[in-house]
Amino acid sequence: MTTVIDGRELEPPEPMVRTLEALDTLAPDDDLLLLLYCQPQPLFRILSKNGYTWSDELRADGTREIRIRKLPG
Amino acid sequence: MDPSLSFDQAPPISVPYRFFLAAPWFGVMAGLLLAWSGADALASRWTPGALALTHLIALGFMLQAMCGALLQFIAVAVGANVWRPRLVASTVQPLLLLATLLLVAGLLYGRPDWLSAAVPFFLLAIGGLVVVVALALWRTPATGMTLWAMRMAIGGLAITVLLGALLAEALAHGFAVPLVELTDVHLAWGLGGWALILLAGVSYQVVPMFQLTRPYPPWFARWFAPLLLFFLVAWSLQLFPGDARWSPMIALPLLLILSAYAGITLWLQHTRRRKIHDATSLYFRVAMLSLLAFAVSAAAIFLLPEIAADPRSAIWLGVLALAGVFVSAITGMMYKIVPFLNWLHLQRLGAPLSAVPNMKKMITAEAMTGQLRLHVLALLLLLAAVWLPGLSRLAGVAFAASCAWLGWNLVAAVRRYLDFRDRIRASGSHR
Repeated sequence: MTTVIDGRELEPPEPMVRTLEALDTLAPDDDLLLLLYCQPQPLFRILSKNGYTWSDELRADGTREIRIRKLPG
Repeated sequence: MDPSLSFDQAPPISVPYRFFLAAPWFGVMAGLLLAWSGADALASRWTPGALALTHLIALGFMLQAMCGALLQFIAVAVGANVWRPRLVASTVQPLLLLATLLLVAGLLYGRPDWLSAAVPFFLLAIGGLVVVVALALWRTPATGMTLWAMRMAIGGLAITVLLGALLAEALAHGFAVPLVELTDVHLAWGLGGWALILLAGVSYQVVPMFQLTRPYPPWFARWFAPLLLFFLVAWSLQLFPGDARWSPMIALPLLLILSAYAGITLWLQHTRRRKIHDATSLYFRVAMLSLLAFAVSAAAIFLLPEIAADPRSAIWLGVLALAGVFVSAITGMMYKIVPFLNWLHLQRLGAPLSAVPNMKKMITAEAMTGQLRLHVLALLLLLAAVWLPGLSRLAGVAFAASCAWLGWNLVAAVRRYLDFRDRIRASGSHR
């Protein structure tokens, strides 16, 4: 199952707060899709240090699709 | 999840705040100096008062705030970690402060020895900053146009300071250099190659993030800074003897590039789906309208020699660039960055997310909007004073009051940070 957080029209720090809250309940086989107009470097550091993997794709309209998943094990 | 983990390599909050808290008081000094000097200071760009005012704003207000923002921003936005940021900030900031005061006093009182004394302090402060920031920017694994803009801006800062040092030594010792041309190149690198490229690079991230706009078009972000640099290098060729008729061919495209940045930023603001009219958005609007006015005015000065002959034309451009573009944009940025940093660093204490107060509680909307209105009034008075000298003292007082209010708002935000920090610690919810 994919949970989607559209942070493009949310004022900081709301996108990060919602992402951190969603990750707390993310099941091992699920993923979280975060939509933003910027690269969230602070979030990337949290993810790498807490055992998450992510992909970051840039859409033609400038939206970044950040897909987050728990690393196995 | 423990949110504090993201910031373990980010600089301590004292690093940017040391610079941010000092910046507005240089604006206060500039306003008071104008109020004291009156119309004489604005008679031409070469009066001791005008030179001192320019450097109080460019070095005192702008460079202090931009150094603080740079040290914080490159860690958070492009993942670049500066070597021992607390040591760098606590060395660079006082050196810069001392150098600025020496230079301004030297220009104001015509003291060559003070000008000369300021040079090594500038070279040490900015040289050190450039080296540690450049190393951090080249080592980061991040990519993107913000990173490239930061790299180009830090190069622009180095060139500006070297040219400034040469000018100060030339004035102090009477070296035979083309002073007017060197000054024009120095200020083009300072305002364009350093300040505007840095502002644009930061804008690519913070305008969409904080003002909820769509991102800048990729073609614009890719070409803005390199094109600006290309034309700045071409502009610098005036230092060598040649045909002066070429200069509008360089200046006009340069002004078109500036206008594109202003126009696109205004267009992004205008076309955003969620309209917010907070102080930051309004400050950016003032800055971008000032940049457009600067570009149109400068084009008129290049094309119509009778306007260029009036010494007040250069003062008009200076007021638009310094007070209109940069003081406005920097103030608008600080009104988002400071509450955001308060929030980030309170998170760092390890308190639950719910225990950390909302960003909007860090500086009240009323305080920011009131200060913005006073700044706009001061800017209009400064612009009017260029043509109506009788308004100079009033404009100076208004500008000093506006900067003092900004300084007070920032102090209040820091006090709130300390207050919330103590409350979180007292509640025992921190780590």
